[in-house]
Amino acid sequence: MKLSQTSRSRITVDTSAVLARWLLGAGFLYLGLSKALDPVGFLKLLRQYDLTQSSLLLNSMAAALPWFEVFCGLLLLLGIAVRGTALTLMVMLVPFTGVVLHRALLLQAVQNIPFCAVQFDCGCGSGTEFICDKLLENCLLILLAGWLLAGHGRQSSLRFNLIKSSPR
Amino acid sequence: MKDNSIQSGVPTRSLAIRQIFWEAVIVGAIGAAFAFAANQLSPLGLALTRDYFPAGSAHSVRPAANDRLPNTFGTNAEILSPAQFLAAQMKEKGLQLLDDSQAARLFRDPRFKQDIIVFVDARDEEHYQQGHIPGAYQFDPYHPEKYFDTVLPVCQKAEQIVVYCNGGDCDDSESAAILLRDVGIANQKLYVYGGGITDWTTNNLPVETGARNSGNLRNMNK
Repeated sequence: MKLSQTSRSRITVDTSAVLARWLLGAGFLYLGLSKALDPVGFLKLLRQYDLTQSSLLLNSMAAALPWFEVFCGLLLLLGIAVRGTALTLMVMLVPFTGVVLHRALLLQAVQNIPFCAVQFDCGCGSGTEFICDKLLENCLLILLAGWLLAGHGRQSSLRFNLIKSSPR
Repeated sequence: MKDNSIQSGVPTRSLAIRQIFWEAVIVGAIGAAFAFAANQLSPLGLALTRDYFPAGSAHSVRPAANDRLPNTFGTNAEILSPAQFLAAQMKEKGLQLLDDSQAARLFRDPRFKQDIIVFVDARDEEHYQQGHIPGAYQFDPYHPEKYFDTVLPVCQKAEQIVVYCNGGDCDDSESAAILLRDVGIANQKLYVYGGGITDWTTNNLPVETGARNSGNLRNMNK
């Protein structure tokens, strides 16, 4: 009886992890495509962060980031190199969330409004959003990526580990 | 049941971390190659070496109407209103700024009908089709090659060229004016209408939808 409860909860966790992988994959596919289909719009939004003065660097970021997200989204949907992809997404998401937060604080100071009333298009692909919603959304994405990074979501994956470990 | 995972080849923690790291490096490298190739193949792709913003740095935070901004333009006043700030910014770039009444006056000037005064809309196709100043030529500074053939001869003949975009934060009109200047249009003919289509419609001035001279005139506020 105890064993069946354990295996049932394991099945629930496994199923949830696969759903999380698909959700994260579909999310990045959607967000990436929405930016890739309007690269000039994304370039303008990216420019507002004043990340660099080099037009080559700015253009490269605006050109590559949307398609990179599409690529990562596809890998997660198919279940290829899941943990490596999750780590890559976290490496992208964490600093970008910081940059969005910094801009929101700047806007809050200029507009003199409560933090959660700050609203702008962060260039994430989801249009104009309230900053608190955006930060929650990013935290959720980071948590999901972290869960996959921990090794969950193996079911229905084509090649969970890209690099096979050699037996000792 | 004994766990024989180590004997059967399941990696230790440090090995697993290294594997994940290298997997991420591979994903990053292939992903970057995929991304640049996709941008190259996409008809909407960006040209990496082009300067899309000849007007200079971004207006990273839009000043509110009642904000006073520090004067960094070398004029006598210490504090500038947003309108003065914009005018000083234009002057620094060698451009002349038009306000709402000046733009409306040029629109009503009989020389407008003869293309001696020309309006240039620096927004994208979608926004232009939704509504532009009647008779304005479209010139999207992000895809200038598409419009040069039509716009350049008109601008060369014109005596006054009014370039506008959305107004407010939008500096595409500045980019378009600088592009036109760079291809040989005399600087003294170029004017930037700072209020843009937003102020134009707010002032209940006529708007044309669809193609240039489509005849579909309307007031966007009604």
